Amino acid sequence: MSSEDSLQCGGLPLTGCRVIEHSRTVAAAYAGRLLAAMGATVVMAEPPEGSPLRSAPPLLDGTGHSALFAFLSVGKRSLVCDLLSPEGRRLLERELDGVDILIDDTPVRARGPQMLAPDAVAGRFPTLVHVSVLPFGASGPKADWDGEELNLLHAGGEGFLLPNGLSNELFPDRPPLQIYGHFSEYQGGSMAAFAALSAWWAVPEFGGQYVDVSVQDAALSVGAFALQRLGDGSLEHRNTRRFRYGGVFEAQGGFVQLLTLEDRQWTALVELLGRPVWARDASLCDPLERSRRGDEINHHIRDWTSRHNVDDIVQRAQKLGVPAAKYRTPAEVIHGEHERSRGLFAPLMLDGGVKAEVLVAPFQFRCTPLQAGGRVPALGEMNQEPAP
Amino acid sequence: MSRAKAPLHGVRIADFTIHAAGPFCTQLLSQLGAECIKIESKTRPDAFRKPHAVYGRMSAATFDQVSVNKLSVRLNLKQPEAVALAKRLVAISDVAAESFRAGVMQRLGLGFEDLRAVKPDVILLSLSSCGQSGPDSHFAGYAPLFGAWGGLGWMTGYADGPPVEMRHVMDHSAGIHAAVATMAALHQRRRTGKAQHVDLAAREVASAMIGDALIQASLGIAPVRPGNRHLSMAPHGVYPTGQPDRWLTLAVRNDAEWQALVRELDQPAAAGDPRFATAEARLRHRDEIDVLLAQLLVACNADTTAERLQRAGVCAHVSWSMVDVARDPHLRARGATTEVGGPDLPPRLAVGAPARFSKTHDVGIRRLTPALGQDEEYVFGELLGLSTVQRADLETREVIR
Repeated sequence: MSSEDSLQCGGLPLTGCRVIEHSRTVAAAYAGRLLAAMGATVVMAEPPEGSPLRSAPPLLDGTGHSALFAFLSVGKRSLVCDLLSPEGRRLLERELDGVDILIDDTPVRARGPQMLAPDAVAGRFPTLVHVSVLPFGASGPKADWDGEELNLLHAGGEGFLLPNGLSNELFPDRPPLQIYGHFSEYQGGSMAAFAALSAWWAVPEFGGQYVDVSVQDAALSVGAFALQRLGDGSLEHRNTRRFRYGGVFEAQGGFVQLLTLEDRQWTALVELLGRPVWARDASLCDPLERSRRGDEINHHIRDWTSRHNVDDIVQRAQKLGVPAAKYRTPAEVIHGEHERSRGLFAPLMLDGGVKAEVLVAPFQFRCTPLQAGGRVPALGEMNQEPAP
Repeated sequence: MSRAKAPLHGVRIADFTIHAAGPFCTQLLSQLGAECIKIESKTRPDAFRKPHAVYGRMSAATFDQVSVNKLSVRLNLKQPEAVALAKRLVAISDVAAESFRAGVMQRLGLGFEDLRAVKPDVILLSLSSCGQSGPDSHFAGYAPLFGAWGGLGWMTGYADGPPVEMRHVMDHSAGIHAAVATMAALHQRRRTGKAQHVDLAAREVASAMIGDALIQASLGIAPVRPGNRHLSMAPHGVYPTGQPDRWLTLAVRNDAEWQALVRELDQPAAAGDPRFATAEARLRHRDEIDVLLAQLLVACNADTTAERLQRAGVCAHVSWSMVDVARDPHLRARGATTEVGGPDLPPRLAVGAPARFSKTHDVGIRRLTPALGQDEEYVFGELLGLSTVQRADLETREVIR
């Protein structure tokens, strides 16, 4: 794409979109983060003490910053707005004038005093898209339930199914295991961003509206395949939800994921393993027979990978057409040649002149590349600025 | 349910996506009202139309979540005339979506520039494992590989164990992010009238899920795999209860919640124990807390305990299997789960609309898995204006196949 093309496309995808984010939770903050990355002006309306996410772990020694908050807030602005005081509510009301999207995660019972009840908001701002994102949503019998990531991953059904594969084989008696970090909340946040942009799309015809997003719903949504399997008559369980053969294997220098779902990939895997005698057994041409003898196959693969270097395995496997990947550490990802080539990371300026790097966005717009990098917004930075 | 009162009513998608991530994305858009035309062929049937031995499914799926609401037409894209018809479909659509390996669409003659030539303001969504550029862009992959490449697999696991493979949730997470980006591109087109090529690499979605750990890594810090533990909350874990394989998840954020927890579990001694008095103290003594909770909860009913703790303001939830999900009145009331069924499909539950809208409320599942090519009368006939004779001829010559 030439730079001329880029200029002709005009700004970033969401240039001109104005968003207020009133967030305590990762889900709401991630929704705002995605919109900010695509060029929306996102203002965090924070309480005087700042968002609780400012002190959420992991913390970066020596900078006072939360790595989580830094990831979630880069590209946003901060306005302190105490919604428990009349002045704060007036300030928010003034700020909401001309705003396209409000993202809010205030629990239902706390909305009234903060001027955030949907009817009240809709009455004053008829073209505003008001998106609520809460752990269990804002309606339904469990709307007043609260949940952190750990609870929500299990409320959506995926938590019960983890870990599968090698971890489960090694530690069959341990409790189920969560996905790192805030996986369910990120699903809730991305669903909120999707719903917000969809409702905004409909504004010319329908005006503003209120949208109710639930992290639990989003977690279930990404786990839909397990519900589909239940409809087919199979209840999934972490002890049995594993690929019959393939999976995580320990190699020299790390772990590798190998997975062959198609016949041609199996043939390529046999090639990768050096066409050993056991793999040339004609009955293994049948995928059902391979599934039946999965443990035996994995035993052979495990023996082979343990004698080979992980990078060599992956390089040869991909060349032969065997889907394979190394389990990369965060350091390997951030220094990855592929990621560097795609500009996945950008400079992030932290207090005290510390320079870090941050993931720009998990999508690219090839006609109008996203702008990269920035800093963590100082609490209330906008309160210091003269009124426009 | 009418599409007219859905937020994306009037948006049309020419859907070339295959596997899970891409179809999940277009399914989301269709649940919000977009008209989604699935372009497929008998020569290379979609995964759900085939047996899937890996999942023990020995015939085509009777219901396929990611193909709900979609219209189906057949085009054999190995034939130039089929490619020309595909371009005509793109020309009358707002979005073209594909999830082939990078370069396949160009080889088919359906690359971004080809499509822009027939529709100057086309939005092309390309969803792939590694993206449209970069040294790994030709790599094929599935969900566990996205997690492995992106770092999420490494960060997930027991601290003393191996990394963990991600499953369909990783595909579908990529699909939601693709839907977000596609909507942003539509808004940009509305504002500028220009085309856009959205490039989503599923492995980069996996990386976004460890965005905090990557900032740490950029500063030379090696983040630790935490398992079920949390850096500021204790207790924080998954505990066995009185019923076998019925686990209770607990996350205690502050002193008030800790006091509520021990009150509900009738442990006055723990309430006054200085080892557990503050968040910092609880973190230091979390192993002891875990032992204590394991002793207390082993006699408890998981479900009633979770309800009682929620009423007391403690974040608690049972680790739910899909049977629990299917039974849950809350998810049903929200439309997050919805019953589907038909002449050839006994009633079953599916995942419904991803959000509830106050005005454009006609969102969700309107129709089920399409039969291969079932909508050609509408798509080829009404939309493209092909006569019955023309279509029969194209079928004879295996352009439509």
